[in-house]
Amino acid sequence: MSANAESPTETQKDEPSTPQQPTEDSGTADEKKKIDVLLKAVGDTPIMKTKKWSVEKGRTVQSLSQFISRFLKMEANEQLFIYVNQSFSPSPDQEVGVLFECFGSDGKLVLHYCKSQAWG
Amino acid sequence: MADDKDVLRDVWFGRIPTCFTLYQDEITEREAEPFYLLLPRMSYLTLVTDKVKKHFLKVMKAEDIEEMWFDFEGTSLKWHYPIGLLFDLHASNTALPWSITVHFKNFPERDLLHCPSNSVIEAHFMSSIKEADALKHKSQVINDMQKKDHKQLWMGLQNDKFDQFWAMNRKLMEYPTEEGGFRYIPFRIYLTMSDRPFIQKLFRPISPDGHTHTLGDLLKEVYPVAIPNDDESKRYQVVIHGIEPLLETPLQWLSEHLSHPDNFLHISVIPVPSD
Repeated sequence: MSANAESPTETQKDEPSTPQQPTEDSGTADEKKKIDVLLKAVGDTPIMKTKKWSVEKGRTVQSLSQFISRFLKMEANEQLFIYVNQSFSPSPDQEVGVLFECFGSDGKLVLHYCKSQAWG
Repeated sequence: MADDKDVLRDVWFGRIPTCFTLYQDEITEREAEPFYLLLPRMSYLTLVTDKVKKHFLKVMKAEDIEEMWFDFEGTSLKWHYPIGLLFDLHASNTALPWSITVHFKNFPERDLLHCPSNSVIEAHFMSSIKEADALKHKSQVINDMQKKDHKQLWMGLQNDKFDQFWAMNRKLMEYPTEEGGFRYIPFRIYLTMSDRPFIQKLFRPISPDGHTHTLGDLLKEVYPVAIPNDDESKRYQVVIHGIEPLLETPLQWLSEHLSHPDNFLHISVIPVPSD
């Protein structure tokens, strides 16, 4: 899959004092649907300063993975493993919207990320 | 009437006669003959096409060989989809043998995942099984298995060993009697003309008031377009493993008997061919 030049996802900061970035206004309400993703680091993988993100439903796991790698300033040869439910690694072309529908809880999709294989 | 176990065997041993032809722009030292192979419906392209690669390597120079990939009538074939699904979705109503074009150059990065080794296929296969069990049993059954049990599932698939595979897989098909079925049914519905890859949602095999859900119930809920109204003629075929199961078939039964080895029901919805 190609590294696509998508614009960065909008952040939703937990601290009320930090101003929110403006929402991109494009497309119908349906197309623009976003889901909340909570990113959790595993082991000694660096923790993201911003853990909660608002991601478009059609965004792929691969795209999100590349975003995290860039955010963490990882080397090109370093791998990143993404897990759902701390049990399985979704296919890179899987859409986060589908994962949220099936494995989301409390209105968000929790994804664990790790530089090495955590759950096989 | 056929025993239910016979269905498991029929599904496992389903084959698709295929003709592999080298893409005309590939550089060869002499003419490449097409290669014929029976492809297992339940396996993955990159797992079963070593012979295809060997065949075409005979007429090509090493420096002209990159990662092998396949297309059918211009559609790049995703190796991480089961072979039977690819056929039902793209080539259902075409003449046999299935004519696939083989490429060794210009890998379509946007369409396909890379497959550098069998361990990538294994990882993908096991992840699918784990995802299916997360839906069926909150991952309890797969997590209770040992690493060697997981390996047995993979080896059974890789080596086409029905008994070896099902000795382990039957555990993934069990459920508490009082529940009447799995927690949710692992399914994916693929459409030929759609921007999204597939439909996958949470769907229970038994309704809260004890009503057994059928294939028709599932479609009505997640893709009602597939089911014609009483006065309409049928516009779509709902295909699993090359057949159109009756819409009255209980979904739980389909999940137990017509799932792929990855424990998912892969369902193709294709337009009825116009003669």
